[in-house]
Amino acid sequence: MEETKEPVATEGREKMTVLVAVDESEGSLYALSWALDNLFVAAVGGAPNKPQPLGRLVLVHAQQPLQQFIMHPIGPAVYATSSVIDSVKKAQEQNSRDVIERAKGICRRRLVEAEAVVVAGDPKETICQAAEQMQTDLLVVGSRGLSKIRRAILGSVSDYCAHHANCPVLIVKPPKTSH
Amino acid sequence: MATEAEATASVVGKSVMVVGIDDSEHSFYALQWTLLHFFSPAAGSSSPFKLVVVSAKPTPTSVIGLAGPGAADVLPFVESDLRKISLRVIEKAKEICTSHSVADVEFEVVEGDARNVLCEAVEKHHAEILVVGSHGYGAIKRTVLGSVSDYCAHHAHCTVMIVKKPKPKH
Repeated sequence: MEETKEPVATEGREKMTVLVAVDESEGSLYALSWALDNLFVAAVGGAPNKPQPLGRLVLVHAQQPLQQFIMHPIGPAVYATSSVIDSVKKAQEQNSRDVIERAKGICRRRLVEAEAVVVAGDPKETICQAAEQMQTDLLVVGSRGLSKIRRAILGSVSDYCAHHANCPVLIVKPPKTSH
Repeated sequence: MATEAEATASVVGKSVMVVGIDDSEHSFYALQWTLLHFFSPAAGSSSPFKLVVVSAKPTPTSVIGLAGPGAADVLPFVESDLRKISLRVIEKAKEICTSHSVADVEFEVVEGDARNVLCEAVEKHHAEILVVGSHGYGAIKRTVLGSVSDYCAHHAHCTVMIVKKPKPKH
């Protein structure tokens, strides 16, 4: 317990477990790139003779629950046949794999090793839960830059994480294109 | 010293990290956490960030609120009180920085509402990242008291890191 509260820097930089939430949006991939550039590469790129990684990078992707796709009462009873469920599941899994692959590619290009975890369920809660389970030191999320009203209606994962995660949260905003 | 620091920062190409502090334990914890994880002494002077510590000093008028009778008399006392508090905050921040052997730090006290002060500081220093603590208020307190970390997370033009003090009961 004393390790998480007041870590004593024994060997140089404290090894952090950093959890980065990724999905299909550009915002989250930008967040990943930003985190890699500023948190990881800076430590390694400066002195190639001491390849001391800043810590553990874990990519987490939340897979939306299946119910969303099936609960559409169109006309008379629409039965979700098992084949429909299967194909939707497969499409989802493929989607998750693509997202993870893209994210891993970004990491690889910067010579950073990353683990990947796919969690199922509502992204907000599952990401916070994953952060707690893995005892992350820092949770990185992207932000769509929504306005206040949209945020309230659409809901915001970054908002939820900022309030409910037990660890420090880093919210990466998309770069301002027009200033 | 400010211009010199800025010149060296632009030459070295260091990104600027602004840390917002106030008189609370949470913000000092945030500062310590940041120093520990980003400015480790073993990394030498090659930390990728330049640290700017900003403390917002509330204006006396905002503290006193609606003027009642005798508000003008109270003003100078409140002003000196606030100044003492902000000096103490900066002193403590300086101590924390030196105890982590971080020397390349700028300290600023800016008068105004914490929300605006921090966002303006981000603009002024072209910061890459803004670090704030969080009081850990619940949803209701947050709406009533307002949350600086919330405001900054939404309005700052850079990445925002919200450092929370871990809950004691787990």
